Amino acid sequence: MAMAEPSIFHNLEIDDGRDPSVQEFIENTLAALINELSRSPAEANISITLKRRASPIACIINPTNGALEASTRVDTYRKYSWPGKTAHEAWKFTAKGLVAGEFRLIRDSHVLIDAQSVTGDSLIPRTEDGDEIDISRIRWVLVIEKEAVFHRLARISYQTRALAGEGIMVTGKGYPDFMTRTFLRAMSDSVSNQSRRPPRFYALTDGDPHGMAIMSTYKYGSAAHLHQNARLSIPRLQWLGLRVTDIIAVPEVLGDTALLSLTKRDRKKIMAMLRNSPVWASDGPEPEWRAELQRMLVLNLKAEIEILYGCQGGLEGWINRRMFRQE
Amino acid sequence: MSKQYLSRGSADNAHVIDIFSLAITDKQILSTSGASSIKVHSTTDADFPLVQSIDGAHTIGCHHIVTNGNGSRAITAGFDGEIKAWSCHDGHWAADKKLTADLTGADAWAIAISEDGQYLAGVTQEGRINVWDLAADGTRIRDHETKGSFGTCIDLSPDGRLIASGHEDGAVYIFTTETGRMPFSLSGLVNPVRAVAFSPKSRILAAAGDSKVIVLYDTSSGEQIANLSGHSAWILSLSWSDTGEYLLSSSFDGKVKVWSMETKACVATHSETDKAVWNAKWLPKIGKTEGFATAGANRSIAFYREATG
Repeated sequence: MAMAEPSIFHNLEIDDGRDPSVQEFIENTLAALINELSRSPAEANISITLKRRASPIACIINPTNGALEASTRVDTYRKYSWPGKTAHEAWKFTAKGLVAGEFRLIRDSHVLIDAQSVTGDSLIPRTEDGDEIDISRIRWVLVIEKEAVFHRLARISYQTRALAGEGIMVTGKGYPDFMTRTFLRAMSDSVSNQSRRPPRFYALTDGDPHGMAIMSTYKYGSAAHLHQNARLSIPRLQWLGLRVTDIIAVPEVLGDTALLSLTKRDRKKIMAMLRNSPVWASDGPEPEWRAELQRMLVLNLKAEIEILYGCQGGLEGWINRRMFRQE
Repeated sequence: MSKQYLSRGSADNAHVIDIFSLAITDKQILSTSGASSIKVHSTTDADFPLVQSIDGAHTIGCHHIVTNGNGSRAITAGFDGEIKAWSCHDGHWAADKKLTADLTGADAWAIAISEDGQYLAGVTQEGRINVWDLAADGTRIRDHETKGSFGTCIDLSPDGRLIASGHEDGAVYIFTTETGRMPFSLSGLVNPVRAVAFSPKSRILAAAGDSKVIVLYDTSSGEQIANLSGHSAWILSLSWSDTGEYLLSSSFDGKVKVWSMETKACVATHSETDKAVWNAKWLPKIGKTEGFATAGANRSIAFYREATG
């Protein structure tokens, strides 16, 4: 099984292996696990309790690397249990991201994977420290919130047919796991070495609080794993859409029914985002994101990407136009 | 007959995020936005200087600000759900801590204040209409139920007799402040209503929103008097001139229109921006000339005056 978010081995903080407290911790943890594993499944409580580094509230955006990080050290503990307390937790332990497009994964100067656009979509490959991803032939990377939207675009090979040229599409199927973020970061890092016209990185999410929070997770990182964000954030990520205001501007094509009212939970989520995350602070890095959340509250509206299926030229036509506008 | 309004300057980038609401006193214009401060600009100086910035008024932004007739009191409603009170002495605004404390827990999305500043009316996200007596420690004196649709806008009639609210389901309700009864329900709009405004003599209620039409109702009978059509995008705000001769409307596509009540026709259209104009309001008359201010997603406040001679 692939270890996706949260990667417990990163959290163990083993420096040299000789620290007796580390040894002791590992032995105790292993003993407890083996003990629980030997019991009947109904009684077993297979879990590891780990110290986490910071509470999600006390965080800042690091100005040097554009990542969401802890501002002060606040110790908290969290218990990870198998197969997971909830469906959500179990789901976090399986690799889930998908990629479509042309790239080469290079490890120790050898081409490990040579993905061709024509082969369609596949699971995001596991990358290791030091891996390079060669995307020198593509013009754009599109990070897509929803799997269904990804499949719709992959079916028509949008990665080879976009007006903006060849590209790569990635989806983390909602909130992204570490492997998806690691893969995207490796692509972004490889672009930094590329001098001429680097490819653009775009995010395409729903025009609702979850879509905005997912985009923020890709760009700045997640509040739940602050110490990982510096090596996973993608500061170059641009917001392609969907804005609620995009849809209001073209109601003739889509009809006013394309818009949905916010639920009470949506409104609560937006207020919590505005209050708690420095990403949405009034003096923060993304005034447009803040304004969009506030416009949603004022209009009491949200919009799902799927409504673009019905616009002129379909979803792909809309993306073509939008990428052209942001070039 | 068309009228001409000329640009008389602007407070550029008055806020760093969309300006959602404007309030006017005889000498000042107050604005609130998605940023945390309330900005006060003078309207008596030709270049509309910033005279005060109340920083940190609402940490996560403020969507509504209203002032009473003589400009001594302002009430704001923030995105954090807080209602705050402000008072003005010699042109300087300060927090009214007592009244703000009195209003703790007061639930309202859109708000309106009576001409004399004594009553505050609010409509909640659940469509409930409340009235608080600000002279009696913010006691809630009225609580009206509607059908539960999001309350987007509210107004108190200048004569103090009526409250009107507009809702997301297209409903417009009128209540009498005296008895709390609903004399009639108003029909005509099916899409979300985003603005309601009583005329200065309280005889007409104007309502508008996503239907792109302004509907005028007779407040004594509830009958529709007229439909004003011409906007091609959602209408976000309405404001009556002092005399009630003209109605000002602003819309999502950046257009601002002036409507004559005599002819029931649009007499002027302004489109300085293609971004949403969240709010447009008439300014106090200077001599005989009328003017108005607009603000919205372009983050500036623009001022217009009627062309004379």
